[in-house]
Amino acid sequence: MPETRILLEHAEDPALRTIEGYKGYGGYATMEKAYREMEQDEVLQELEESGLRGRGGAGFSMGKKASFLPRGDMPKYLCCNADESEPGAFKDRELMQRNPHQLIEGIAIAALAADAGHAFIFIRGEYDLQADILDAAVAEAYAAGYLGTNILGTHRDLELVVHRGAGAYICGEETALLDALEGKRGNPRLKPPFPAVQGLYGGPTLINNVETLSNVPRIVAHGAAWFRGFGTEQSPGTKVVSVSGGVRRPGNYEVELGIPTRELIYDLAGGPEHGHEVKAFYPGGSSSPVLTAAEGMDLPYSFEAMAEAGSMLGSGSIIVADDRVSVPHMALRTARFYHHESCGKCAPCREGTNWTVKMLERVVRGEATPMDLDIISSVQANIMGHCLCVLGDSMAMPVSAMVNKFRDEFEQVIANADPYAVVEAPPEALGASI
Amino acid sequence: MSGKEVTIVVDGREIAATEGEMLHDAAKQGDVEIPVFCYEPKLGDPVGACRMCLVEIEGIPKLQTSCSTPVRDGMVVHTRTEQVKHAQSAVVEFLLVNHPLDCPVCDKGGECPLQDITQGWGPGKSRVIDEKRHFQKPIELSPLVAIDRERCILCYRCVRFSQEVSEDEQLQLLERGDRTFVGTFDDRPYVAPFHGNITDICPVGALTNYTYRFRARPWDIEQAGSVCTLCPSQCNVSFTVRDEKVKRVITRDNHEVDDGWLCDRGRYGFEMFEAAERVAGPRLRGGETDWETAIAKAAAGLRASGGKVAAIVGDASNEEGYLLQCLLREALGSPHVDSRPSRGPGREAIVQLAQPDVSAKVRDIDEADVVLVLGTDPLHSSPILDLRVRKAIRRNGAKLALATERPTALDGGAAAVARYAPGGAAGFLAQLTEALTEVGAPSSLGTSSKESDTAGASGELPSSSAKRSEGAPTSVADTLQGAKRVVILWGERIGRERGATEALLQLADALGVASAEGAGLLEVPDTTNARGLREAGCLPDAGPGLSEPKDASTGLSAANASLVGKSTEEIREALASGEVESVLLFGVDPLRDFPDTPAWESALTACKHLVVFSMHENATTAKADVVLPLETHAEKDGTVTHPDGRLQRVRPSAGRPGGVRSNIQVLAELSTALGHDTGIDSQLEAFAALRDAVPFYADIDDSDISGRGIRWQETAAAANVPEASVGAPSERFAEEEGRSPEASATPRPSDEVPSEEGAPTLALGTYRDLWAGPITELNPPLKFLMPHQRVEISPGDAERLGVKSGEKVSVSQNGSSVEAEVQIKERVPEGVVFLAEGLAEGNANGLLNGGPVEVEVRKLGEGRA
Amino acid sequence: MSPVDGPGASNPNFPVDLAVSEGRVPDRREEAVPELHEVECPPELRERIETLMSRYPDRRSASIPALWAVQERYGWCSPEGIRQAAAVMRFTPAYLESVASFYDLLHTEPVGTHRIEVCTNISCWMRGGDELLDAFEAAAGGEDDFFVTGFECLGACDIAPMAAIGQRYYGPLEAAEAGTAIEQLKAGAEVLPEKALDRRPLAGDLPHPGEGADA
Ligand SMILES: Cc1cc2nc3c(=O)[nH]c(=O)nc-3n(C[C@H](O)[C@H](O)[C@H](O)COP(=O)(O)O)c2cc1C
Ligand code: SF4
Ligand code: FES
Repeated sequence: MPETRILLEHAEDPALRTIEGYKGYGGYATMEKAYREMEQDEVLQELEESGLRGRGGAGFSMGKKASFLPRGDMPKYLCCNADESEPGAFKDRELMQRNPHQLIEGIAIAALAADAGHAFIFIRGEYDLQADILDAAVAEAYAAGYLGTNILGTHRDLELVVHRGAGAYICGEETALLDALEGKRGNPRLKPPFPAVQGLYGGPTLINNVETLSNVPRIVAHGAAWFRGFGTEQSPGTKVVSVSGGVRRPGNYEVELGIPTRELIYDLAGGPEHGHEVKAFYPGGSSSPVLTAAEGMDLPYSFEAMAEAGSMLGSGSIIVADDRVSVPHMALRTARFYHHESCGKCAPCREGTNWTVKMLERVVRGEATPMDLDIISSVQANIMGHCLCVLGDSMAMPVSAMVNKFRDEFEQVIANADPYAVVEAPPEALGASI
Repeated sequence: MSGKEVTIVVDGREIAATEGEMLHDAAKQGDVEIPVFCYEPKLGDPVGACRMCLVEIEGIPKLQTSCSTPVRDGMVVHTRTEQVKHAQSAVVEFLLVNHPLDCPVCDKGGECPLQDITQGWGPGKSRVIDEKRHFQKPIELSPLVAIDRERCILCYRCVRFSQEVSEDEQLQLLERGDRTFVGTFDDRPYVAPFHGNITDICPVGALTNYTYRFRARPWDIEQAGSVCTLCPSQCNVSFTVRDEKVKRVITRDNHEVDDGWLCDRGRYGFEMFEAAERVAGPRLRGGETDWETAIAKAAAGLRASGGKVAAIVGDASNEEGYLLQCLLREALGSPHVDSRPSRGPGREAIVQLAQPDVSAKVRDIDEADVVLVLGTDPLHSSPILDLRVRKAIRRNGAKLALATERPTALDGGAAAVARYAPGGAAGFLAQLTEALTEVGAPSSLGTSSKESDTAGASGELPSSSAKRSEGAPTSVADTLQGAKRVVILWGERIGRERGATEALLQLADALGVASAEGAGLLEVPDTTNARGLREAGCLPDAGPGLSEPKDASTGLSAANASLVGKSTEEIREALASGEVESVLLFGVDPLRDFPDTPAWESALTACKHLVVFSMHENATTAKADVVLPLETHAEKDGTVTHPDGRLQRVRPSAGRPGGVRSNIQVLAELSTALGHDTGIDSQLEAFAALRDAVPFYADIDDSDISGRGIRWQETAAAANVPEASVGAPSERFAEEEGRSPEASATPRPSDEVPSEEGAPTLALGTYRDLWAGPITELNPPLKFLMPHQRVEISPGDAERLGVKSGEKVSVSQNGSSVEAEVQIKERVPEGVVFLAEGLAEGNANGLLNGGPVEVEVRKLGEGRA
Repeated sequence: MSPVDGPGASNPNFPVDLAVSEGRVPDRREEAVPELHEVECPPELRERIETLMSRYPDRRSASIPALWAVQERYGWCSPEGIRQAAAVMRFTPAYLESVASFYDLLHTEPVGTHRIEVCTNISCWMRGGDELLDAFEAAAGGEDDFFVTGFECLGACDIAPMAAIGQRYYGPLEAAEAGTAIEQLKAGAEVLPEKALDRRPLAGDLPHPGEGADA
């Protein structure tokens, strides 16, 4: 079955990057309608009824979150989360690179719903090309009067700043993002207070993912009912899914939520190479507990189905491991990522990730005992639910899933240390900074 | 927090709590201990980093950090369930993953929260066999503090202190994740006036004092509570004593006084107790002698001058001050006693300032709407108040208005900054009061409502010749408009200027501080127990309890001029003129600390009989006929009075060197030797006598002040404070008419001669640096902080004079000059330069003469040498 | 003179610390907020940072952009550059260094002018990311103006194995192409044009690999 391109409609046309190109396909018409004819509450209502769920990982209702912002004339903010740093996720990159104005229009309309006067796009520093494209697009939008003061002759103002990060996955966590945007180290904050109540500079702040916001124009244009015409009851709409790893045609595919996972992996992404089979896959980025092919291949690709299966849809990124992949090594790669990215603020994550990596390194070097596997599992349990944010859990969940589901393979690896298990030191060795 | 009383249930026990207070604190009230590492209320808002304090709250699935969870009525909490125990032992295990467990060689051993919590809540055994992270250890974070990064558990406390309490922002976390470590920019030393506090709050052995490393174990030491009298802040300290000797000074948290912090002066300034320069016993010019001889000689000399004697007292307890003024007034029949470095307001003004309704207490700063800092830089003159003001701004949104001669450490956080020229305080205060009383004062003229940190310097201050504080008050006035709780921190120095104290009282009146709750004046004195000594009677025109001076024999208090003695400055002149022949100095070093060093040189040379009580040898003791040793604040027994009226107890904590005796006994014996037996020879008797003599101390007895001290204003006897005859002109200054400060300058030949080729002159401002004086000379660990004379100059004037930072120049007036290094400072107003007082070399006191001083600045090796 | 009672009060084996017996002078001065006249901040850098500060409600927000500006000017966040930014922003250099050291793309140590980040995360690792990293390191031959490093997921798993060269993405790369890229960089030529992400069509518009092996 083919893709259902809504967000990626016309995405193959390079002209879409420019404001003329975008307007050529009807761009900014919805914003004009919203700004000229709609009240804040009407916009909010459309968004809430559409059932649009956050595409950044948590899957929380976008409309509801926007409605949490207190009313009143204190300064309010909107932050677009374009940090996209979770292994396996690259959909926001595609959306910003191919259709920047769709995002800007989405932000402008969401700002109306949140009554925010200042918006920021926090884009990961690595996305240099995409940030340049956004900068150009924002400049065009200002020139055309879609941003700035007294927009479209209405008495609304909106400042939009593209803010480049500098390389830290944790800045994708919404409160760490706020600290980074305030010019600090990107450490998560205690919640409560939640950003909707007390966020950027202490003001009410709406934080949404790039894909979430990119959905806004069409929802407001065609209405909640139209949007609910796609996807499932609990997961309405389409989703841009990043498929990568052991498939022949990795890439972003926009599909209706709820289609069989198999179609994504085989029909669209081309499945594993000839003579090989899918062993397991992460259904929602590296933070999601892996599913074996048997467990997951025939599940509908939706928030609810993945949750039921004990995993999650997360950011909607599938990483496929074919039968050549050593799961213990994959577990090590996964753990190393979170160890490297832990902000270091809270003890269970900081020390848990580093301890797990050391144990897994011993495993793949064959210097461990089956008892170490029990310790690894118990350490994951000790991390879960004890951290300040969920980065710690984001390692603990997939790693414990792998140890539990592929215990035999771990024990084999320990038994006859895999000759390929050359475990080079992580990017910076501990204390190397001194 | 709302303050509403609520009830919560912790481990089945009902606990009364205040709504909004943190669960951890509420539980503590109910004797339920929840372990913490990162949580430290003194540091401000919780960070929830260590995760040690996780507890179960009914209705919430995930465990919550009790350090950051405000209590709500009816909250049901469990701190001992399996789930919680599991979490706690998990966190301890995580914290130990990278901890070296080198307790046997760790200074913290035995007083270490990590040790205790591991014992109490940790897993019995370690499952970690992997390599721990390594750092070079220990290394020098500063010359005073060692850092062992392997022991650090990254609890955030020290860096939060640096960001949110002292706000020096020098100590930072570097790198990320488990590579994170505590450090400074470019590995430079962490040098900041409060940095020693991080060794008190570190919950492990990562931050330790070089001055204490390997000195003692908890079981060889005793803690002795006392008060630091190295500055007027009078912070509460606890001396760590081993074998009768002070090994360490730590805080003895008193919210009313110090908020649980210490400055590095008080923390590390204890090795001078054993310095070689310490006066270890009585001596005469010839050399050491025994006590009888010393006291006999001292008495004889003083008696010989037949009433032409004077006394100046500085670093002394209330009891010492009281006995000293008795000795002078009663035994020697002389009224010439003072406790101020030069001169000050008269009794009338002092009595008005002492009225309870116009005086603020330290804690009022916390809740102030506006803190107005006048003529002082708390960082240098009363350091702990600097932290207090920062706290008020950061946590309670207080506004800060500053009016000073010299840029202060607090400028950055000020809503308004005004600079007046040296000697311009009185004028400034008058204009400010005017601006406040003028209805709708135009905020247009020359303001400096802070945009940038350097505002306030800008344009505030016309050249040194013009009337200097023109317009400046407006921004300050704007900040004060409508404010209720105004706390005025004012420097005693202002009072050296004629009319300034009166102007200050008028300002306080205009602000209505007397009637406003939590508003008032808080003095930052020049000396450590200034208020206590004044109230004990160490003033030329006021006896104990600020009473009018009485005739010793008749006991009648007549407004008879003969009963009014001379101020410090007048004593100096009287010595020169022979009007006074012999002097008794108690804990003062005029040649170091008083204005006009040359004049003091000749005065002390002219002095027939000089008796000096001193802790250490110095230029003044070198001139003395009799030198008597003083106890340190770790040795003496007595009381002091905080600038806000709080009487506090200084307790003997360490042993005295053999030749040193109780100051109180020595004074009593000297008095007896002079034929006046006070019948006093113990602190208790001395305090009793003081209390009888000071009516508003009447309700205070020793037990009241043992712990946290007590403000006399808060006792019933406060009513006994002398009536203020409102608005009465200050007799002192009235009487000083004719000999105005300017004229008081010892005339010098070159007085009228204009500097050749009319080299531009600049106004000279002087200040007392936190590290000036013997403190950095007698305490080896503090040597590196010894200030060297720098002339602070504005970029504009530097350009005009063609001098650059770092160059050596001479700063001179009328022949006397000091050498200094140029330091260009953006915030120094044009037309003024600043020099430091009290330095071993190039002491600015050498240039002062009681009036405004204009100086010439020349590059060395240029012009006349 | 000995202000303490002889060597090692409690334990004679521990030396009395110099700080206690003689005092110790730090080799360098501490660094508070430098004033502008104390640093030689290039005017254009100063203006750039001032403009950046003006874009945000709170000047602190400009920290990361300002550090980017410093890195562009000096090739890395050098202590001098950090001091200059600190003087303009009126923060302590320590604060800015603390921020810089948190982020992987801001370098607080000198690095080569040509920066190559090779992804070694899950998807690239599965498709030869490690080998690609080795190839780049070999090709760069440890030359100073090349900075080659392994990197976590760069958000381009669709072109795995991939690398970011001068902040732009290229992939999927053969180990052999590492050498080509280095040569092109040396020659100042355009790098691997046909592998630039910017030129790549949507995955769905690529020719279908044909019948997928059914599981
Ligand atoms: C460690 C961590 C990393 C995250 N990274 C991202 C990210 O890169 N992009 C994103 O949109 N959300 C990310 N999130 C989720 C955000 O915290 C937040 O839930 C999301 O941006 C909300 O937007 P949404 O409701 O539109 O999904 C991350 C969360 C965590 C805990
Ligand atoms: S869980 Fe990890 S990333 Fe999140 S706050 Fe704790 S240390 Fe930082
Ligand atoms: S004490 Fe609560 S998290 Fe550290």
